[in-house]
Amino acid sequence: MKNTKVLQGCLGLLFCSIHGLLGSALDCPDRDAGGTRCSISVEKLLDRAIQHAELIYRVSEEARTLFEQMFIPFSFHAQQSHGGHLCTSNIFPIPTSKSEVQQISDKWLLHSVLILIQFWIDPLVELQASLDRYDNAPSDLLNKTKWMSTKLMNLEQGVLVLIRKMLEEGSLELHNNESVTPYLLPTDMVEHVLRDYAMLSCFKKDAHKMETFLKFLKCRQTNRPSCSIL
Amino acid sequence: MGISSGPKPFLTVGVLFILLSPATGFSAPGRPRVINCRSPEKETFTCWWEPGDDGGLPTTYALYYRLEGSETIYECPDYKTAGENSCFFSKNDTSLWVDYNISVVASNDMGKSVSEPVEVDVVYIVQPNTPESVMVSVLEDNHGPYLRVDWEKPQSADTRSGWITLVYQLRVKQAKDETWEEYDAGMQKYYNVFSLHSGKEYMVQVRCKPDHGFWSEWTTPVYIQMPDYMPKERSMWIMVAVISAFLILLFGWTMNVKQNSVKHCLLPPVPGPKIQGFDQQLLKNGKSEEMFNALVIPGFPPTSTYEDLLVEYLEVYDDEKRELVLNEKNLIEGSMKSKSTSSDNDSGRGSCDSRTLLMEKCVDESGTEQELSQYGEASWASSDSEGRDNPASPGLEDGKVQMWPSVLSSPQSHNFQQQHPGGLRASHHSVPEISCVSPQVQTCCGQQDQLEGFQFSKPGLYRYAQMYSMDTIECKHVAQEPQSQSQSQSLSAEYVEVQTVNQENVLLVTPLSNPEGPNPELSDFSGEDYSKVRDVTSDNVLLLQRDLSVSQFVGDYCQDQIGQVDPCFLQQQQQEQTCKLNAHLHHPASTLQEDMRLAGNGYVDTTMMMS
Repeated sequence: MKNTKVLQGCLGLLFCSIHGLLGSALDCPDRDAGGTRCSISVEKLLDRAIQHAELIYRVSEEARTLFEQMFIPFSFHAQQSHGGHLCTSNIFPIPTSKSEVQQISDKWLLHSVLILIQFWIDPLVELQASLDRYDNAPSDLLNKTKWMSTKLMNLEQGVLVLIRKMLEEGSLELHNNESVTPYLLPTDMVEHVLRDYAMLSCFKKDAHKMETFLKFLKCRQTNRPSCSIL
Repeated sequence: MGISSGPKPFLTVGVLFILLSPATGFSAPGRPRVINCRSPEKETFTCWWEPGDDGGLPTTYALYYRLEGSETIYECPDYKTAGENSCFFSKNDTSLWVDYNISVVASNDMGKSVSEPVEVDVVYIVQPNTPESVMVSVLEDNHGPYLRVDWEKPQSADTRSGWITLVYQLRVKQAKDETWEEYDAGMQKYYNVFSLHSGKEYMVQVRCKPDHGFWSEWTTPVYIQMPDYMPKERSMWIMVAVISAFLILLFGWTMNVKQNSVKHCLLPPVPGPKIQGFDQQLLKNGKSEEMFNALVIPGFPPTSTYEDLLVEYLEVYDDEKRELVLNEKNLIEGSMKSKSTSSDNDSGRGSCDSRTLLMEKCVDESGTEQELSQYGEASWASSDSEGRDNPASPGLEDGKVQMWPSVLSSPQSHNFQQQHPGGLRASHHSVPEISCVSPQVQTCCGQQDQLEGFQFSKPGLYRYAQMYSMDTIECKHVAQEPQSQSQSQSLSAEYVEVQTVNQENVLLVTPLSNPEGPNPELSDFSGEDYSKVRDVTSDNVLLLQRDLSVSQFVGDYCQDQIGQVDPCFLQQQQQEQTCKLNAHLHHPASTLQEDMRLAGNGYVDTTMMMS
């Protein structure tokens, strides 16, 4: 009697430990067809992506405000788009209204986010290099831009995983083929300050786009019918 | 003159009219100003402007906008929906993340004026509508009532799809207060407000804000009345306070009634002085001298010389039951320190059980100063007188010190052991009975070899000698009269130390040599007389010898067979008498003057003296 109970206890302990080792930090949804290994659910991935996007937007807003206070005279504040500098909206078919967003499928929504992210990785590095050349750039600003650059790369990874999981397809290798950076920046911007300011403003907008798209995507994941209706 | 001019007057009038027109206030409109643009749900937005001076003429306003990156100018699609001086952009006309360049043009008959252009990105101008359906209710829990506030999101905001994220905030204040208390509710649509005062009226308002945008307006206040509520703790404390107040009152009243007894208990009255002769009245009169004089008892402290304290006589009772208490407290000049009296708590009466009555510590035989025991018994030396000086006539050393053990009769009888003179230890604390022997027998103890005498320790020590329960002390040799007598005459006072008491109840005494050279002094001494032990008989009879003076030789030997404790004296005039019955030692005051000291082996009983 005792021996069997002891054996059961040992087996139970063994199973528990194995289970703990395998599934310690991760959920094990039944979505994976193969069930080979446990991974994070789509919802949680989306939540993390949304958090990243929110944070990036907030930091970009602060960085832009800092830059504006330090380097931009007050008279220029109202002329943000003076000269007609463009951000990314004219280059890629990014939805610009809710109705457009609603009409887009999940696939294109995700891809839009990915395009945005991949678009901004290199310019951020350039922006950082440009800010380093300033004489009296506050360290806070430099830290923020550095942080944004890092987080953006993390977000890219997350979105790639999302694409793989949600759409079950490989990612578009967009950024490798095209280099869109030269098209963005107006060539007549000779003053670095204004150029950097414009970059910060555009990045802030695009960060907000990413955040909005991801949040919209999340709604579609959880509650599909209601997201379409207003 | 008639109106003969044709066109000329009209021209004049027209010129005049034109010239005069500024005076009437017509002009081009002033510049309007775009106040703000707001989007309630990030899908549409509205812009408002402020008209400038209209120049006195009806002025029309038009809003034109241009999108970022495009030169196409569009006019406001809707002037009506949002009210006066506003432009409403519908969903179709709204693009996010795109800058709008908006300007307003005012025009009238006189001219136009254009406002300052404003850059607007719809995403950044979101200000939602106020929350709706604010409901406040009072709930209760263990700690008391609290408020629960519920509300709904503004209808226009699409939070379900995640297009817009709203956070809420509410504020509460009492209806009469000035300051609000604000609480952040996050993204939830309810909130519990605690720690509100009971019985008061409160106002509640709610507002919301998108994650990046402006706060909405506050909702219209909702009034709520808090119920009257007494927390259990407070009611309990009130009850406790009431009861304790009642108890305190009761206690105070009781104390008041029993004032005197309480006062007597807490502050016992100080006893007044009960000093004999103390007159409070004198003190109150303030004459301290009189009062203190009244305290003086004549004759106290005894100021007589201590020679008066010497025992002159001894009262001896043969009644066993009657105890003879003879105390002598010698006050030696000078030091008051007494080894004897320190721990004796039954002064005056020797304890029968005290073993330290007699000498226990004896100095060596050479006769160094003998320390008395705690009770300072007299030392009776019992030894052969060989090697010692003959005991001189008993007398005081320096005429001062006299030590006699107090003789106390008691039924108990102790046995002395007669010790060989070689021994130095005084063994017994109680003096056995001393037999009274008549003067004729006085020589019984006067043998040379058995001369004994009292030897007292040096002056300077207090003697509080006390003897208890004396047994019969017998001199050894009774019948050796002539020798003893002759010898006794030449004998000087000698101190004797009691060594032991042998089994036959014989007191062994050894004479002590006084380091101060008692012999010459003693021999010269005429007045003082101590009784010295002549001999101890075989019947445990201590034969004492008393030498008063040459002329008066009183040797008193008392032999008391009965067992009384008495050393006794007999006057020389007394014949042979048995001292069984009430042998008294008298101090003939007439004959014996100061030079005659009551030697004896008695103690001075101050009480007897005084009385």
